[in-house]
Amino acid sequence: MLEVKGLFKSFGGVAAISDVSIDFPTGSLTAIIGPNGAGKSTFFNLISGGLVPDAGSVTFNGTSLVGRSRAQIIDAGIGRAFQVARIFPTLTVEESLLGAVTAHRQRAQNITHRFPLPEMRDRMLEVADMLGLTEKLAVTSANLSHGDQKLLDIALALVLDPKVLLLDEPTAGMGPDERWRMIERVHELWEREKLTLIFIEHDMDIVFKIAPKISVLCYGRLLAEGTPDEIRTNPAVIEAYLGTSHEEAAV
Amino acid sequence: MNLDALTDCLTSASCLVTQTTSGLIIGMLLFLVAAGLTLIFGVLKVVNFTHGSFYMLGAYFALTVNGLTDSYFLAVLAAAAGVGLFALVFERFFMSKVYGSNVLMQLLVCYAFILILDDAVKIIWGPEFKSMGMATVFQRPPIFFAGGIVPVFYLFLIIVTLIISVALGLIITRTRFGTVVRAAAVNPSMVSALGINTGLVYSGVFVLGGMLAGLAGGLAAPVRSLTAGMGFSVLIESFIVTVIGGMGSIPGALLGSVLIGLVRSFGSIGFPLFVEGLMFMLMAIILILKPSGLLGKEG
Amino acid sequence: MLSARPNLARDVAIAAAVLVILLLLPYVWPSKMINDLVIRVSAFALFATSLNLLVGYTGMVSFGHGMFFGFGAYAFGLSMQRLGVSIPVAFLITIVSSALLGLVVGAISIRLKDIYFSFITLAFQMLLYSTVIAWVPLTGGDQGLMGGIPRPPFLGIDLSIESHRYAFAVTVMVVGLLILRQIVESPFGYTLRMIRDNTERATFLGINVFRAKLTAFMIAGVFGAIGGMVMALFVSGAYPEFVNWTMSGEGIFMIMLGGFSTFIGPAAGALILSVLNDVITRGTEHHGLFLGAVILLFALGLRKGVTDFVADWFRVRREAASRTGS
Repeated sequence: MLEVKGLFKSFGGVAAISDVSIDFPTGSLTAIIGPNGAGKSTFFNLISGGLVPDAGSVTFNGTSLVGRSRAQIIDAGIGRAFQVARIFPTLTVEESLLGAVTAHRQRAQNITHRFPLPEMRDRMLEVADMLGLTEKLAVTSANLSHGDQKLLDIALALVLDPKVLLLDEPTAGMGPDERWRMIERVHELWEREKLTLIFIEHDMDIVFKIAPKISVLCYGRLLAEGTPDEIRTNPAVIEAYLGTSHEEAAV
Repeated sequence: MNLDALTDCLTSASCLVTQTTSGLIIGMLLFLVAAGLTLIFGVLKVVNFTHGSFYMLGAYFALTVNGLTDSYFLAVLAAAAGVGLFALVFERFFMSKVYGSNVLMQLLVCYAFILILDDAVKIIWGPEFKSMGMATVFQRPPIFFAGGIVPVFYLFLIIVTLIISVALGLIITRTRFGTVVRAAAVNPSMVSALGINTGLVYSGVFVLGGMLAGLAGGLAAPVRSLTAGMGFSVLIESFIVTVIGGMGSIPGALLGSVLIGLVRSFGSIGFPLFVEGLMFMLMAIILILKPSGLLGKEG
Repeated sequence: MLSARPNLARDVAIAAAVLVILLLLPYVWPSKMINDLVIRVSAFALFATSLNLLVGYTGMVSFGHGMFFGFGAYAFGLSMQRLGVSIPVAFLITIVSSALLGLVVGAISIRLKDIYFSFITLAFQMLLYSTVIAWVPLTGGDQGLMGGIPRPPFLGIDLSIESHRYAFAVTVMVVGLLILRQIVESPFGYTLRMIRDNTERATFLGINVFRAKLTAFMIAGVFGAIGGMVMALFVSGAYPEFVNWTMSGEGIFMIMLGGFSTFIGPAAGALILSVLNDVITRGTEHHGLFLGAVILLFALGLRKGVTDFVADWFRVRREAASRTGS
């Protein structure tokens, strides 16, 4: 279980995150929503080791993650995919995944054998299959469609065998159909791999359909938490974020 | 290494004055060159490795015009104007083609021009060392100052370069051109969104940089021997200066130039063969401690 | 579907074939000029390929790689002149000392990012150059190492004989390139590519980027130095020009001309540039003018290396084939 308590972070006097406490039980699927500038990406950075909180605690299965190096946080089992896919443009999907598996298995410095080491293939195929990239292994990453690049980005995070996966706007930049396909795949992934999955999302239809639990951030504070129904009817959330048109739809 | 000679000089008033003046001259002339280099980098994010050749061209243009008109002042003006024009052509037809490219491509274009210009100079003016000679107005007895001797020409150089530096500072801070240039250095897309032709700004910056380098070449011509490779050591030194002072910072270029000028003049006494080594050591130290330079901006 | 990968056996076979061709060349086409060219290209091919390990494969743009070429030449020359050791021992000394140089310079330089890395590598190179010029008793100053380099025979090889020298140079080049090829196609080689393509992601995968870059820098340094050693043997001396920034500039030009996206590109560039230099020097006294013009033509016109064009052509064909179903 990932526990965040009393998290604070300011940048030059501006509070980006104020007193945020959220629990993410093992195997849960949580959506983090909130208007732009609410601090969602900052929150992800704080729990994945990209930023050090000014105050508060982040504990995973009893171990504190605050102040740990990226490598240690990865070892602890926190994985992350990015809003803008961070991939290796000149490498093929296959090479990228093999490279990631090789790195994860501590063989990244080997110069005595040829790449790829045969024992890395199985895991590479496994992860590729999880994200539906098996048909695209020979494609150079730069030539992948935007959606496939985001899938590869997630695949690269999954290679590290995370127990918690943070997805920063997995459907960003996609058209409506592609968005549903992506989120369905994410949902499938969550069910199959029994991950604790936390994702940032802007598309409300998707969020209400998919996420059993929603946490709403606004101006760096936790505004509300609950099931889709609870959030949909929460007046503070509606006021801050959804606007009257959704209120009418919800009622 | 000749540390005794160095300590002797530091304790002798006349040597101190001579070396300090000479250091200041070298520094101020270097500043004119380095200011252009750092300006070009600050605004265009391009390291103009051809800058030493601009200086060289300035010296040779001055030589020719001086030979034709027997006027040092016309020669210096010709140097500035001529190199400014050359810089315009260089920027418009060659450098601008590689603005977006890999730094290695930019380096290659500059390297190509260094090769071409060095040969061109040899063909047009001949491979022998040339000298321009001092204008008669400066052929006077030197001035006595603080126990040492200062040639009149040196005094003139210091005054002129100070005036130019102040003028440059005023251009950058007080004129519209200067404001646009400073804005373009920070946010080029904003500048073009405001309807200003950034291409013109870039050309303008190159021309200004070229004129400064040409001016330096022309001013220095009487006390230098002109040869095809003369741009190279100026390039290296002005490069060191901009790194030490901070790429993109004109006050930094001033600080760095004076520092390097003094290192050169006093260093040639103490470490005659290793003067450049000293400068590179300084450069390496600054890069290690504060890569953005003494007065450069972080990041 | 899973793309064919170059394997060691194939590379060894190609290397062996090339070696045989090069060894037979002097008998098929006897010409001192050609022999000298091949020896020089051998030295430069090692130099340029080692630089490309940094520039093309890791994305580290070093402006100062000439420092290793020059250091190798001087280290080897001095070992032979002053220490009176055998050539294999001097070879070993050169390798170890250049690795140390790479370690020290790399550890300091790699902390800096982008253009500042380039600047400081240049600064270190020029520092070495200034030291070579100034330390006259050791290096001969701007005259270079004088008196020639002794070439005592070893293992039946006598490098004072031209044919032995030629065979030695091409063998060192082929074996050296083969080793570099293995490094580049090993897991470590792909780690370097990942660092080049997306350093941040590489760190997120748990890769120790600093250590990987430092290792690459040291390997590049050692092979650059071996190139310098070959050159020193050939000219029986070491000159400041080997340590000067022009050496680094030529290295970069070789890579750009030959192509930095293929392994053999830099070596091809070394060949092209050496031939170009020879032709121009022979044809006219205005070497700078013509070489400069060629460089401009390349930088503004072609924009890609020769082998880059070839590789692109192959890749387009391959991707078209996979799209039409294979």
